[in-house]
Amino acid sequence: MSLKNHDGWPQYVVIVGCGRLGSLLAGLLSEVGSSVVVIDLNEAAFDLLTAEFSGFRIVGDAVEIEVLRAAKTHKADCLLATTEEDNVNLMVAQVARKVFNVPKVLARVFDPRREPVYREFDIEAISPTKLMADAFLASLGKKREAEPCA
Amino acid sequence: MSQERYAEFLRHRWRIMLGYTGLVSVLVGMIILTPCLGLFFFPGELALAWGVVIPGLSLTVSGLIVWRGLLPRGGATLTLQEGAVVVVLSWLFAVLAGATPFILIGGLGFTQAVFEATSAWTTTGLSVVDVENASRLLLLLRSVMQLAGGAGLAIIMLSALTGPSGSGLSAAEGRADQLVPNVRRSAKLVISMYSGYVVFGCIALYLAGMGSFDAVNHAFAALSTGGFSTKAASIGYWNSPVVEAVTIFLMLLGTMNFVTGYALMHGKFRAVSKNGEIRLQLLLIPAAALIAFFGVTLKLYPTLGLQVRVAVFETVSALSTTGFSTVGYGDWNGLGWLLLIGLMVVGGGTGSTAGGLKQYRVYALYRGLMTELRRMWLPRHAMTETDVWVGDQRRFLQDRDLRQIAAFAFLYMVTLLLGTGVLASYGYPLKDSLFEFASALGTVGLSVGVTAVNTPAGVLWTEIVGMILGRLEFFVVILGLGKVFLSVGRIWQR
Repeated sequence: MSLKNHDGWPQYVVIVGCGRLGSLLAGLLSEVGSSVVVIDLNEAAFDLLTAEFSGFRIVGDAVEIEVLRAAKTHKADCLLATTEEDNVNLMVAQVARKVFNVPKVLARVFDPRREPVYREFDIEAISPTKLMADAFLASLGKKREAEPCA
Repeated sequence: MSQERYAEFLRHRWRIMLGYTGLVSVLVGMIILTPCLGLFFFPGELALAWGVVIPGLSLTVSGLIVWRGLLPRGGATLTLQEGAVVVVLSWLFAVLAGATPFILIGGLGFTQAVFEATSAWTTTGLSVVDVENASRLLLLLRSVMQLAGGAGLAIIMLSALTGPSGSGLSAAEGRADQLVPNVRRSAKLVISMYSGYVVFGCIALYLAGMGSFDAVNHAFAALSTGGFSTKAASIGYWNSPVVEAVTIFLMLLGTMNFVTGYALMHGKFRAVSKNGEIRLQLLLIPAAALIAFFGVTLKLYPTLGLQVRVAVFETVSALSTTGFSTVGYGDWNGLGWLLLIGLMVVGGGTGSTAGGLKQYRVYALYRGLMTELRRMWLPRHAMTETDVWVGDQRRFLQDRDLRQIAAFAFLYMVTLLLGTGVLASYGYPLKDSLFEFASALGTVGLSVGVTAVNTPAGVLWTEIVGMILGRLEFFVVILGLGKVFLSVGRIWQR
């Protein structure tokens, strides 16, 4: 995969939430050589991890600071909050940013209206809803370009 | 149609597995070649070099061809099952290539040579070579193979060359515990720690009074918990308390889980003091040494100094599965034999270079037993959780873990009994058979004289199987061989 030829991947990544997104990211980052720790409430969630994954798994609620401490979040270069709860993502990301001083914090946020709040906290928010809306609009726009005088 | 697609898929996976086997073989070939560096220090044996160069070079080249020819560009990921196939095949080639020099320039027969090579790679240390008359080149080759086998081929490969992504391969070789959450970075750390140990060991043994050649060989053999010696009397040749003390320290270092060592280096003494393996050792070593002292050595040896030294050294050597000895055991009583057999069965730490049942498993089973007993006194619906410390982390023992450990322990005991039976059927006394096979299965290398050049081939092959099963921890061998046979059977049917 072309991912491999790229240098400058973060050394140490903490991923909160091992769902479809979290497990995918964990496998890809492990493959390119990052140290990866995934946290999930439910041990069964780790079944989603692929064979590429060679990091650590922690069962626990990332909202609790002890769990983040066990994941050595203070040493992390990057934290990805990928649970399906906007509020959990926001809280974990905020704790990582403020308490553990993680330099780069990314969070998934479903509700695009919350994005300004995230920005205020210096957290990069990625909204699947907004991405999808953009994709829809882009597709519509392309259609209009293809047949201009409809 | 779907059958065709499945066949195509299988072909693809086999290309990956064989490709990585080739890659490991390149590494194994290079390891076999390294003793030739020693020729700078003993140039008199240059005439023997061909015996090492031919197998080493041919394995490297053929491995290179297979790797380059079969492995898809950009590498691939191995699952645990596929890793098992790679490990089993690589070990097979490693043993065969490692045995060749002993046939070519060592004057051994095929069975004896394979035995010696297996004993070296598995870090056992049982030997059929007459070390007093063997060439230095071959002695160094044995020690280098032990050093590499102790670290594990997968770990060396991941740290030095490229390798598959994912932890399937290293986990298949019994190195599932990682220092840091990335398998490649963890492998690099393990190798640098191990190299540090080795440099330290060589210097320490040299300062303790060994010659430089002996110091290098014994440092390799002690840290890999292998136990090959360059003297027939093993460490007993020096008869020096300092050499013994240094060797004991090195053996303990070798038998310590690298994760524990890593935690120690980072000053996490509290976590290490809670570690089950460390606690078990702190209990077992003094207790066993005391039993050996009062039960055996007190009546057997003349001076108090010797009595204490023998008791401590033999205990540590057996528990760490190294297999150095300072005395013979022929005149030890039954208690001493039982003690050594028990220690050999328990064995060293997980994720170290040692063998045996492994201290972690024994500790976990003990904790499981205590929980079970406590549960009888508690109300029916009370919840209990059993915690164990690994590295600097606290984990909870799940029923699933205990089930796996129990199955492993059962298999270990059954194999121990079967192997002992085979040895006994050749006419050896029960206690000799039990001792020798426990030593082979635990990859220890203490011997009571069953293993020798003129030992029947059947006994040697039984011990070879025991050493391989003990080193690769059963399931991997079963998994790997099973997968190979299934695939071969599928091709046969066509």
